[in-house]
Amino acid sequence: MAEVSIDTGMDATGASLVTVRGELDISNVESLSAALEPVLAEDPQGLVFDLSGLEFMDSAGIAVMVFAASQVPRVSLRQPSTTVRRVIEVSGLSHVLPVES
Amino acid sequence: MGTDGLLAPEVSDVSKTVPRDTGSGGHGPDRPADAPPVTGRAPRGFWRRSPSRAAGAVLLIGLVVTAALALTCLRLYEANEKRLLDLRVRQLGLVLTAAVPSIQTPLASAAELADATSGSVQKFRAIMAPYVGPGRQYASASLWPLGTRTPRPSVVLGSAPELASRPAQARVFFAHAPRTPQMSVIGILNSAAPTVGYEFNSPISRRGFAAYAESPLQKDRRSKKESDSAFSDLNYVVYLGRSRGQSNLLVTNLQHLPVSGRQASDVVPFGDTVLTLVVTPNGSLGGNFFQSLPWIIAVGGVLISIAAALVTDRLARGRIRAERLAIALDHVASENREMYSEQRTIAQTLQHALLPDSLPRIEGLDVGARYVPAASGIDVGGDWYDVVARGGGKTLLVIGDVSGHGLPAATTMAAIRHATLAYAASDAGPAAILSRLSDYVNGAPHEHFATVLCILVDVNAHRLMAASAGHLPPLLVDGGDARFLDLHPNPPIGVPHVGEFEEIDVEVHGGATLLAFTDGLVERRGEVIDVGLARLRSAAIEVDLALEDLLTRLASQLAPVRHHDDTAIMGVRWRT
Repeated sequence: MAEVSIDTGMDATGASLVTVRGELDISNVESLSAALEPVLAEDPQGLVFDLSGLEFMDSAGIAVMVFAASQVPRVSLRQPSTTVRRVIEVSGLSHVLPVES
Repeated sequence: MGTDGLLAPEVSDVSKTVPRDTGSGGHGPDRPADAPPVTGRAPRGFWRRSPSRAAGAVLLIGLVVTAALALTCLRLYEANEKRLLDLRVRQLGLVLTAAVPSIQTPLASAAELADATSGSVQKFRAIMAPYVGPGRQYASASLWPLGTRTPRPSVVLGSAPELASRPAQARVFFAHAPRTPQMSVIGILNSAAPTVGYEFNSPISRRGFAAYAESPLQKDRRSKKESDSAFSDLNYVVYLGRSRGQSNLLVTNLQHLPVSGRQASDVVPFGDTVLTLVVTPNGSLGGNFFQSLPWIIAVGGVLISIAAALVTDRLARGRIRAERLAIALDHVASENREMYSEQRTIAQTLQHALLPDSLPRIEGLDVGARYVPAASGIDVGGDWYDVVARGGGKTLLVIGDVSGHGLPAATTMAAIRHATLAYAASDAGPAAILSRLSDYVNGAPHEHFATVLCILVDVNAHRLMAASAGHLPPLLVDGGDARFLDLHPNPPIGVPHVGEFEEIDVEVHGGATLLAFTDGLVERRGEVIDVGLARLRSAAIEVDLALEDLLTRLASQLAPVRHHDDTAIMGVRWRT
């Protein structure tokens, strides 16, 4: 069972910030869904996933972020690792889940 | 406040506590009467249930220990009482012994004076007068000359001696008297006026005088109980001589003889005879507390035993309930496992049912596929593939992967797969198929999405057209080299997408092999996906195998031993 920790809050620009650390996969992806529920309920205009501490993510994790992207006008990823970034690229999701500039 | 007032609060107390006891068996918080028991029958009502075995054992041990303690205490008490009684009877004996001189001394003095004065009447009266009379020491005192055949008193003070009316007895008594150097005692007990007589004579001459005195006894020999005496805690019987017969009874404070129960006796010298004392305790000599102690221990011990048994019973029942709860939880967990396993089996069955049983035979093209389910999978995956022969040497290959696992993923996979097959039946190319699929699926937001790779192979033209919806590009092994097709990764199906899917058109040589696969084959934790792709590329070109053998080798070599994701791999090879 992979270990993941999730924090939610606001970043400096007023966007909702969801920080995901550890490894996110099918075994614990429910915790990300659960953490996102109240965030999405507030109908934010922007949502940032801080992935600087995320070491691994499988398609189940990507699916949750893609679902969030369908609910929020602007979604971006902050400092994803190469591993995570490449998985998003080869999945054709670079436009859906853009990396923060 | 009367009796009613006193009873009222008790009654209301009972009405409050009774439902509590019956409702929850006397334990824990109240539970609604209609709440179902955890499992089985919950014991209801305190006294109606049978006590637990442990509680019974505790009660038994408690009672045995209590009985042993109480008996030991009782025996100690008895022994102590016996010892005290022995002590008391000796004290009483000493008191009696100490009384002898006060009886003997006046007689001894009178006898000596009579000897010295040859039986002077005046002297005898003078010396004995203070001792004789009602309320005094003697009722009668007399002086008897010794050595006569028929003894008669020469002088009498007070009432007439009883002995004087019994000549035979008097003769025997006085015949013995000179031989005893101390006071002689005679009991005239079988008489209407029972009397004890005391005699003393001077041992100097055989023909001297004997001073004799009598004290009358109560007719029934009963004395009053003296509550203020030092011996008020004793009942006593005094016999003259050693025999305890009724005929020897001198005095007692008991109504009924002989003495029964705990008793002690002593024999003390009394002139030329003895007194036999028998005493019984009038109550407890050691004090009432020690008399009650065995009972206090017995009652206290029984109460403590019952309390301990109740506590044990409560603990035992708590344990039984905990065990029942554990069994119930175990049962629920086992049901969950079964349900989960059942669900997993349904999902697996569904997925396997959706994978093609056999692939179509296509002229000029080898076609093969492998599916490796997740080994330790907590769930089943959502990988699938299809091969559709369109005729004219054109074949459509579809491979896909639904994100997520389990029954929902397998269901989504079924929907997407069937839609893909429907579009594949038309003349549409890969990009058009994906575009229609995307429109079909994107009607509503999904928590699942699917990556789909669609390849249209033209066997005869040695060409292929490919489009990807977020799927990993296929590997083309051609002419001793291998490369991943440079496919634009359009977004997966189920992700909002605007615009056309990009499609590529590739020329291939005879003998070329195209391998399409899902991410399970190349994705590893802690590794960039490009490393996995490179590994596949190397594995594909390092050996020259028939397509079926190559697929088997790649599936076994690259699917990790403890993979959590399922893996599908599909390959086609141009024969010429």
